[in-house]
Amino acid sequence: MTGKKKGFDMVSFWFIAPAFLFFTLFIIVPTAASVYYSFTSWDGLSPTVKFVGLANYREIATGARFRNALANTFILTVFISILENTMALALALMVDNVKWWKNFFRSAFYIPVLISGIVSGFIWKIMYNYNFGAINSILSSMGMGGLKQDWLGNPSLALVMVGVVLVWKGAGYYMIIYLASLQSVSTDITEAAAIAGASPWQRFRHIIMPLISGAFTINFTLSLINGLKVFDQISVMTDGGPGFTTETIVYLLYKVGFNEGRQGFGTAVGIVLLFIIIVLNTLQQKFLKSREVQL
Amino acid sequence: MKDQPIKKNKQRIRPAQIALFGLTLILAVFFLWPVFFAVMSAFKSNGDILKSPIALPASFYLKNFQDLFAQSDFITAIRHSLILTVVSEALIVCLVPMAAYAIERRSTRTTSLIYTYFLSGMMIPFHLYMFPLFKEMKLFGIYGTLAGPIVSYIAGSVAFGTLLYCSFLKGVPLEIEEAAQIDGCTPFQTFWQVTFPLLGPCTASMVVLNGLNIWNDFLLPYLALPSNMAKTITVEVYSFVGQYTARWDIVFAGTVCSIVPALAIFILLQKYFVKGITAGAAKG
Repeated sequence: MTGKKKGFDMVSFWFIAPAFLFFTLFIIVPTAASVYYSFTSWDGLSPTVKFVGLANYREIATGARFRNALANTFILTVFISILENTMALALALMVDNVKWWKNFFRSAFYIPVLISGIVSGFIWKIMYNYNFGAINSILSSMGMGGLKQDWLGNPSLALVMVGVVLVWKGAGYYMIIYLASLQSVSTDITEAAAIAGASPWQRFRHIIMPLISGAFTINFTLSLINGLKVFDQISVMTDGGPGFTTETIVYLLYKVGFNEGRQGFGTAVGIVLLFIIIVLNTLQQKFLKSREVQL
Repeated sequence: MKDQPIKKNKQRIRPAQIALFGLTLILAVFFLWPVFFAVMSAFKSNGDILKSPIALPASFYLKNFQDLFAQSDFITAIRHSLILTVVSEALIVCLVPMAAYAIERRSTRTTSLIYTYFLSGMMIPFHLYMFPLFKEMKLFGIYGTLAGPIVSYIAGSVAFGTLLYCSFLKGVPLEIEEAAQIDGCTPFQTFWQVTFPLLGPCTASMVVLNGLNIWNDFLLPYLALPSNMAKTITVEVYSFVGQYTARWDIVFAGTVCSIVPALAIFILLQKYFVKGITAGAAKG
């Protein structure tokens, strides 16, 4: 296994085989099975599986419930990607430039990332509570009781309120990536620009921004893909409601699969999700290559 | 401004530095407050949580934790969370670095194909394959046991683990391995006794990031463990929310049991979190 790089032999086979086996058996095999089940009306229980051709995909293309879930997913994903990246970049710039307590601030912004989706959903659900929640009681105590809301019960607010929790929980992760990228920008360049008379904004816009564009592309794609997969917070905070206003693609997939016994349709929804993720990833690769930027 | 020396510029920045510090502090309070609120609420009676959600606990009140352990099988949930996290990570550390080592040290067509194959796993969402996965677990007789989630966690760690180890291995010199080889070590010994110890920081990064995901995971243990007993901490907190709608105090005690271990690991091993995230993003 040592010395010059050699060909693939029995030694490399035995080194790779165990990981290969687990990966193939418990990810690739069930994924391939999903492709098959997406053409069936499988209910998850009965031993016989009925082949229905493209019926599930036709329902996806024409059904109002999927269209609603797709719209919700789109709104939620775009909302959190934009806010998470704006927030994360702002936090990274602050942590990078602040003079005191740098490490404390970096940790403080990262701590929400450590908390599980379910727990973070529960904490915010209680804070959003109409009668006993912290947010309404802070509003009341500041004399702004008129702004009190049933934050999660209001159909036009619920989705955004879930988004706020996700931004709070996610921004710290992307901040770490931006921070690493900012710290790789040589201070010589920014100092030279400062001597040449560039204002802080000019320095940011024309020197720092182009140098961190790789990190931006990576973070934006990551946050889009993570946004598509949000599940835990929705299950604990709204269960897809009120009505279907917070039902996303993943939540729809779960509901039809486990509550309605339509796992064939659920897997077809999953295949559409995978397709969206592959498209986003390909776009990211193209974008990174075309700019030839490195983190 | 244009011709002023840089030194003067720095002195003048002082008020701006204070303003920036103040602004950062306000944002930090905003980010930490919900966590602080949850921990405070765990030490308050239910009445106090409802009456004055923002107030600090009046005394060191532990009844919530006593109720939590008396009224539910929370001990089992804690044990399950620990077993799932520790056993999965131990097995992952046995399998993944070895595979990454063979892939990185033998760059052939075969290994680069396997690398691409493993990394494709990053794109596949769990929700897509969970239904057939449970069917498969039933087939192997591990559905409803802790082995079910464990095998799935191992499989799920291969993509990110390979990425992390391969990028780290590029910086580990070959000469040491060659020396070990000359001294008569088998490839297996060379890897575990010579190379693996040098991968310590990489292993630490993978274990903390991956372990946190397992510790916090919800859907897999919720669906794959039997419903007649407590599952994991996260799943218990979820079921409390539905079950004890009027007993927030108990749920908050449960959330503290979930948060504190993660927080402790983060405070102790911070730099490995940062290293792992950055290395993962650089290639991902």
